[in-house]
Amino acid sequence: MRVMRAEPSRFTDVTARSVGAVWRAYDLQLTTYVALLGAIGLVMAYTNSVEAGESVLTSGTTFTRALMWSGLSMVVFIVATVFDYRWLKTLSWPIWFVNIGLLLVTLAIGDGVGGSSRWVSIGPLTFQFSELAKILMITVLAAYLGNREGKLDSLGSILGACVLMGPPWILVMMQPDLGTSLVLVAILAGMLFMSGASLRWLVAMGLGALAAIPVAWTYILRDYQKDRILSFLNPAADTQGSGWQVYQAQITVGSGGFLGTGLTNGAQARGGFLPVQESDMVFAVLAQELGFLGALVVFLLFAALIWRILSAAWHSKDPFGTLFGAGLASMLVFQVFVNIGMVIGIMPVTGIPLPFISNGGASLVTLAVGLGIIQSVNIRQHRAEW
Amino acid sequence: MNDAYLVPKPDRDRRPLRFVAFGIATILVFGLLTTRLAYLQISNGQAFAARAESQRTVEVAIPAPRGLIYDRKGRLLVSNVASWSVKIKPSDLPFSRRDDVAQRLGGLLGMDASDILSIIDSTPGSRFDAVRIAQDVPENTARLVSESTDELPGVLVAVETRREYPDGPLMAHILGYTGPVDANAYVRLRDSGYLADDLIGKAGVEATFEEALRGTYGKELVERDATGRDIQVLRTVQDAIPGASLVLTIDKQIQKEATQALKWGMKAAGLKRGVFIVMNPQTGEVLALVSLPSYDNNLFAKGITNAQFQKLVNNKNKPLTNHAVQAHYPPGSTFKLVAGTGGLADGKITPKTKLRTAGYLTLGSTRFYDWNRKGFGPCDINCGFGHSSDTFFFQVAGMLGADRLAYWARQYGFGSPTGIDLPGEVAGIIPSSQWKIDALGQPMFQGETYQAGIGQGYDVVTPIQLINAYAALANGGRLYRPQLVREIIGPDGTVIRPFKPDLIHKMKVTQATLRTMRLAGRATVTLRHTYNLVDMPVKVAGKSGTAEFGVRDSKGRLPYHSWFVGFVPRNPYKADFTKTDSQLVFLAFAYDSRTKGNAGTEIAKAFLQLHFHIKKDYLNHDLLKKGNFYQSN
Repeated sequence: MRVMRAEPSRFTDVTARSVGAVWRAYDLQLTTYVALLGAIGLVMAYTNSVEAGESVLTSGTTFTRALMWSGLSMVVFIVATVFDYRWLKTLSWPIWFVNIGLLLVTLAIGDGVGGSSRWVSIGPLTFQFSELAKILMITVLAAYLGNREGKLDSLGSILGACVLMGPPWILVMMQPDLGTSLVLVAILAGMLFMSGASLRWLVAMGLGALAAIPVAWTYILRDYQKDRILSFLNPAADTQGSGWQVYQAQITVGSGGFLGTGLTNGAQARGGFLPVQESDMVFAVLAQELGFLGALVVFLLFAALIWRILSAAWHSKDPFGTLFGAGLASMLVFQVFVNIGMVIGIMPVTGIPLPFISNGGASLVTLAVGLGIIQSVNIRQHRAEW
Repeated sequence: MNDAYLVPKPDRDRRPLRFVAFGIATILVFGLLTTRLAYLQISNGQAFAARAESQRTVEVAIPAPRGLIYDRKGRLLVSNVASWSVKIKPSDLPFSRRDDVAQRLGGLLGMDASDILSIIDSTPGSRFDAVRIAQDVPENTARLVSESTDELPGVLVAVETRREYPDGPLMAHILGYTGPVDANAYVRLRDSGYLADDLIGKAGVEATFEEALRGTYGKELVERDATGRDIQVLRTVQDAIPGASLVLTIDKQIQKEATQALKWGMKAAGLKRGVFIVMNPQTGEVLALVSLPSYDNNLFAKGITNAQFQKLVNNKNKPLTNHAVQAHYPPGSTFKLVAGTGGLADGKITPKTKLRTAGYLTLGSTRFYDWNRKGFGPCDINCGFGHSSDTFFFQVAGMLGADRLAYWARQYGFGSPTGIDLPGEVAGIIPSSQWKIDALGQPMFQGETYQAGIGQGYDVVTPIQLINAYAALANGGRLYRPQLVREIIGPDGTVIRPFKPDLIHKMKVTQATLRTMRLAGRATVTLRHTYNLVDMPVKVAGKSGTAEFGVRDSKGRLPYHSWFVGFVPRNPYKADFTKTDSQLVFLAFAYDSRTKGNAGTEIAKAFLQLHFHIKKDYLNHDLLKKGNFYQSN
């Protein structure tokens, strides 16, 4: 990134080659898994809409909003596929500044629960720019680390990546949004690991972060965040207060059994026992209504998708594609693990959405951008061989 | 430069080990999630499902429809009507808003805010049990309240059934009423399925037959949301079984006649309290039971206000007291039945024995006066009982002694509750030598025994005891428990408990003795002691009585009650009192009647005129004027 190098303009690349050749490189499997996960997300939006007592097809319901965002995400996905990802290397600095700008705007005019500022209203829609920040930072880090190929095992690369991540991370923490800030850390760690950064330095940094936990506990974490962590550590202590969500989520999941209660039959959810059931807790509803079997299908789809992303990363001829894939895979694994782990009681409650399935436009659009770029990477690898 | 990117970089550092490590980490993550999920859903799925159900469902009682009450001819005396109730669930009412909510709700319901708060605070049960604030709320008010849920947190509107008594005061002392179960009773009844805001029979047969009327509450499983609001009824766990219905022995028509007669007499004589009872002496069935003043039991069924209740309680004529069973009074001359029966049965006198009667009887230095200061000369039982000679019965009582007199009083059922189906019955007092020693530490004096012989002194009886004694006289010595409920009928219409006369005991007396006393009772009428009662087409035997009570006035005279108790033969138009076939015994009691004549007799005559549809008026309006009838009795 020291040199801002303009890649040659080849907007005609795709059209210049035969459609068949493009399709041979296009990962249809990846798109299939994405479509299936997206469909499951819509089904969950539907069931939550019904259980919230909404008349499903009128405007403004959970389901119609999910339909609209899905449509928009499809368009975004196609545009990102067609777009030549190599431009992103050139645009990495502007992207970084745009990211900072969006996060500053969020802090300035954003709304949120209990004095936080997380969502920005655009017309009738609300958008969470911290979601977009994830993909933008993956782009920026992929461009930065890709440029430093050969020097990646130096401390300088690690520190440089940390310095790039610093400002947006602090802005996200100021919202405050612990969940997203943790995802950013996971992205950073995953990309550094996959880039081949020195394990010794990474371990040292990790230990340093652990040592910083007491400091963070005292000065950074808000009371409600501390409560959530404490209630995770001992959920039975307070089933009516902070532990309520954890306890109810486990009851909800457990009562699903092997085959589930069937869609829209989640009595637990309908009674309002489960807070934020359509967003962060959506997996509890899924596990209850579709059972262990349904949850297993979701796990398999996620695993297959991550496999396809890693495959794209492996086959990428340039380090940007490899690192971008690594970042996206890190993000997905981390979010799936933390979100589902939270629902089934092995992780503390943090506001991290489950990709594709949690209701939320920003999350879906962000995924569409990231996966579109992966497909863009896929279809632009074999050019040189023809 | 342009094509530089087309040249593959041959030695790209891809770090395959790190890809493998990442892959393994991913597999571990999903393995961990799957394991935990299997633990929750497969190993413990049933336990969690049970916990989920138990936390969102609750068993709620289904109130059973309360049994109905009919008179002996099948006339409906009480019905269940739907009404709006306003309740407060204390757990949903934030403490900081209590005063505000009480104020607003008070405004809507027309109640004092402080009353609302004291109802909440004095109600038993948990904070999650709704407390009834107002019953029988008009529909418009109920709608207003239910639409203001934001301003009135914790306030609910419920449809409940309440009792409606179409006849109100006419039947109030018999039927009683239902009301909210109080804190002490709730503690006792909670285990029998009573709810904190339940209604329970509190007086009359509503109270004595509570168990039969209440039925069995059912149970249903209700799904609730996290805030405790009902979502839906999942299933009925147990159906409610409606309460059984009662068929009373009371005949509403006779009750009306008795009420009308008593009201007439009380109004004409300016009386404040009175009792009229009609029974069938063959069975112990009570056909009418009137205690005036009465009250409107609908006030209680609708939820009586404090002001209304205080007014009833503070009324010095005690409308809430059933004077027929819950109060006792000196029986006066009606009690001469006991002395007469005892004297004959114990052989102290025979039907032919004549005793000297005079203006007074001397005992030591004390004179015991007859009401008739001239006396009646030598008198047999017909003369003594018929003219109600006090000196005659002083002598009979003296011959019997206090304990034999008490024995015969008990034979007639005095001195212990009759066991009528009404709460709060009192026993009365029959003095014996033992009683006197226990109560006052002294033996009975002869003079006190004299007084006891004419129903004065320590003796007090309830009107129901007195009529029951005369019923035993009329039926040949069988003392029955007076009954108010003929049959109990199950919800399916089958008779659960048929009517059966309930014999307390057979009197240890010969039929000849009782026949002599019945004829003596007839003599009371034929000797015109009761004036023109003998002229009526209905043939009556009985006894009037005047009983002094309280404190003497400035002229040294005592206030007095007047009684009449009598019966008619099975064929009321044929004066044959040798038989024991009477179907009708009746009693009139006039409390504190300072009239010229015996008000009880006039009231009894008024009843007979109504009951037997006698067109000619035999009533002596003049006798009911104010005056001291002692000079002419």
